[in-house]
Amino acid sequence: MWHITKREIYDNLNSLRFALTTVLLLALMVTNAVRHLREHPKRVQRYRDAVTESLNHLTDRANDSLYTLAQYGPGNFYKKPSPLHFCANGGEPVLPDVVEVDEPPVFMTDAEGNRLLEGIWSLSYPDANLQNKDVGPNVSQVDWAFIIGYILSLIALWFTFDAFSGEREHGTLRLMLANSIPRHTVLIGKFLGALLSISIPFILAVLVNVLLISTANTVHLTTDAWGRLGIIFCLALLYTSLFVALGLLVSARVQQSAVSLMILLLTWVTFVVFMPSTLASIASSFSPATSFEEFWQQRHPSRKDLWDKYKAQLRSSELADRKLRAKSEFYTENAEREERRQEAQLKYRTSQVHRARAITSISPATLLQHLIEGFAGTGFERHLQFVDNTQRYARQLREFVADTDRADPESLHILGVREGMSKKPISPESVPRFEDTLNLSKDFNTAAVELLLLTLFVLVLLSGAYLAFVRVEV
Amino acid sequence: MLKILIRRELLDNLMTFRFAAVLLITLLLVVANTVVLIQDYEQRLKSYNDSVKRHQQELRNSKTYSTAFLFVNRAPNPLSIFNAGLDKRLGNYIGIYHGFMPTLWDARMHGTDNPFIAFFSSIDIVFVFEVILSLMGLIFAYDAIAGERERGTLRLVLAQPIGRGQILLAKYISTMACLLVPLILSLLFALLLLTRSMPLSTADFLRIAGIVLTSFAYLSVFYLIGLLISVATRRTGTALMLAMFIWGFLILVYPNLIRATVSPGGDIQARVKTAHNQIQQILNEYERERQKFLETEGIAGESSEFSKALGFYHQADVNPVTLTTYIENMSVISEIRPDFEKYVPVAKRYYNFVEPLAARTVEKAWRVRKQALEEIYVKQATTDRILLKLSPVGIYDAATQAWTGTDLSGLRDFFYAAQRYRKVVIDYLYAKDAFSSREWFVADKGAVDWRTLPAFTFQRSDVGTNAKRALPDLFLLLICNLVLFMAIVLIFIRSEV
Repeated sequence: MWHITKREIYDNLNSLRFALTTVLLLALMVTNAVRHLREHPKRVQRYRDAVTESLNHLTDRANDSLYTLAQYGPGNFYKKPSPLHFCANGGEPVLPDVVEVDEPPVFMTDAEGNRLLEGIWSLSYPDANLQNKDVGPNVSQVDWAFIIGYILSLIALWFTFDAFSGEREHGTLRLMLANSIPRHTVLIGKFLGALLSISIPFILAVLVNVLLISTANTVHLTTDAWGRLGIIFCLALLYTSLFVALGLLVSARVQQSAVSLMILLLTWVTFVVFMPSTLASIASSFSPATSFEEFWQQRHPSRKDLWDKYKAQLRSSELADRKLRAKSEFYTENAEREERRQEAQLKYRTSQVHRARAITSISPATLLQHLIEGFAGTGFERHLQFVDNTQRYARQLREFVADTDRADPESLHILGVREGMSKKPISPESVPRFEDTLNLSKDFNTAAVELLLLTLFVLVLLSGAYLAFVRVEV
Repeated sequence: MLKILIRRELLDNLMTFRFAAVLLITLLLVVANTVVLIQDYEQRLKSYNDSVKRHQQELRNSKTYSTAFLFVNRAPNPLSIFNAGLDKRLGNYIGIYHGFMPTLWDARMHGTDNPFIAFFSSIDIVFVFEVILSLMGLIFAYDAIAGERERGTLRLVLAQPIGRGQILLAKYISTMACLLVPLILSLLFALLLLTRSMPLSTADFLRIAGIVLTSFAYLSVFYLIGLLISVATRRTGTALMLAMFIWGFLILVYPNLIRATVSPGGDIQARVKTAHNQIQQILNEYERERQKFLETEGIAGESSEFSKALGFYHQADVNPVTLTTYIENMSVISEIRPDFEKYVPVAKRYYNFVEPLAARTVEKAWRVRKQALEEIYVKQATTDRILLKLSPVGIYDAATQAWTGTDLSGLRDFFYAAQRYRKVVIDYLYAKDAFSSREWFVADKGAVDWRTLPAFTFQRSDVGTNAKRALPDLFLLLICNLVLFMAIVLIFIRSEV
């Protein structure tokens, strides 16, 4: 078997396609690295500036009083840019990178402009940013996901389309099978040979890419990032072996190598290029979308309903304490309703996207795209994790405010109302800080199904190739 | 003799497996995508209609002139099914208002779709053709000469009294005739589906004819590239391999690579800042004049009291990111207190002075803004497009976008129309003496009647204009064809058999 593998590799190393592949992959990977080095520092700088600004808000509010912090909340939350952005850009320009903290609403003011009835902060999730200012041509990013998903798969077909049909045409297949080698050994030898000879230029290109990126002092890769890179590399090999297996399957069944290449190309075009977009368009038309205007119009009845519920208590000039409590409940419930409404909208959209993802998973290219996005810490799943983090932090901060207020003996412990809360400034250092963290094991969990599906594809195609080759007459 | 050759080639091509496979795949992809795209178009059309209705309702609800929310909507282009271009990308409704002058970047989107799905990448028929036609051209061409040379039939043909150029011509004509079958057939199916669900005008059919013509030229370029490879190589295996490499490079790698390599030139932040400062100066000038008016009227000291009563609220604001300038005037007062009634004549004079001034100011600011935005966004896009045209895909895409009217100039037409409509609205306001009327800021003595306001209409540019925009690129494709054909003839004549 090793003989066959070795022979295949030697064969390939000397060929024109090997040289062309190396040049192509190197060019793509170098472009990718250069672009990343040019853009990533800017991205990080933008993130840092935004975070500093939002921390300043937090500090100002904490220095003012506990009440101000409870009313205005922290500053906006920003998504930390992934250092592995060069692996998959994951719809970055479209996905929002912020979860906003809404200013407290004002329901009523008196003649002097004093706020009689207001509210407290709530989280709001901005929609995808479709206000595209870019009028340039529509092209995809040259990231690893593109290089592996499109180029490497094409190269895999390019290396395998004549694996059997070519030898059959030359007559060397008979020669080989005349020796006492079982057919499955021939198949595995061919498979490994092709995979290894594709891996050589790919590894070379990846090394150059990673070398360029890691030696630049503007980008810092952590151990965690290196581990993720390793996983992505393994994914690339798995994905490539899928197309190698496909190439072997078709090549074993078809007599002429030209026909074999044509079938492969047409299959490739259908599954890799067209399937993802067509299926996504189909999936998006399944459920009606609520428009932006409709979403905002829902707010009005909700507020009216809330007002009806509390109006008697709020208007009553009974005990001041009771009125304050009613106010507090009103504020809190309004913020909760607002957040629930926002969350429901986000959930609805998320479920739509998940459905679209499930449908497009028929295409191995989308599977790979999702997997790489998942492990590179970009894309939609990452966005959901970020939203999750902000929600957790919001709860934490509210608890912190309640606890601090409880510690102040002068306060009435009625949260969210000026008269009912501690007005002492608190030290900004004691306020918990928001941290946008990524969890590798969580990424694994979300990716598990897709990973299994991809492996299954590979196994099915490999056994298909085996069956086809065993039965074929030489 | 030429006829015999053509007939032979035609039969050779038609009876092959590859012809059947290509025909099937093209039909399948085009029909499936057309169905999806029509659905998408209908959704967008519905959302457009809803939006128009809502905006009409909003206008009817506005009782005073100054609080009128006037919006114009951009209808989806039915030909965007062929090439979506910028049709789905740029915003599709825009506010029309004397204190605001729109540019290409100010339109907003009426929520049509789940925006999170939108980034899954979009597809259109031209994209299908871009990939499939080029593949078809190369698949049919790679063994045209090299194959015959291998089999030895080339010698046989050349032994006949026939010119080498004629052989090439015969091959070209017959294969292109074959390849036209999937192209035309799939388009016919697409048209059949289209005409069933949306009415297409004669002009649209002419535009589609233009697209077909361009597709034909594009297909021919790739066939000729394949033929060139076939003439230049000895073996079909090598020819096939090279053809596939060139296909992958031209279709997949080059267009994506070139945009990644070319970085936006110049300091954008600095450009934004200068424009921002210029606009701020224009706004300051406006504010000075406004204050001067208030002083000469002798109500400067009272203005806080005055403005509270009559909604004297002017906000001139520049957003540094988009450089948008709004000069807002929102006088939302239901009625005027009797003790403020004495201010009404002053308020009328005030608005009559300040509103035309605001309109002039935003026009001035618009000139600065437009120039800056063009430099920041359009210049880069134009460079990208020119570089893309080094690959036939770029030329084909640009030409078909021009035919469908979804290119930059096609969308600009809409914004020009919106700007013209703003003029119409301002003229209407002047004609009604709106600025100096009581209805400008308060509706207690009768609301504004909007029925006489001329409606906004927008016609897509006529076919002639589309053709004028598409022809340079079409010519470029044709020149590519000619150059390739000449190169092939030259190589073939000199080559030994």
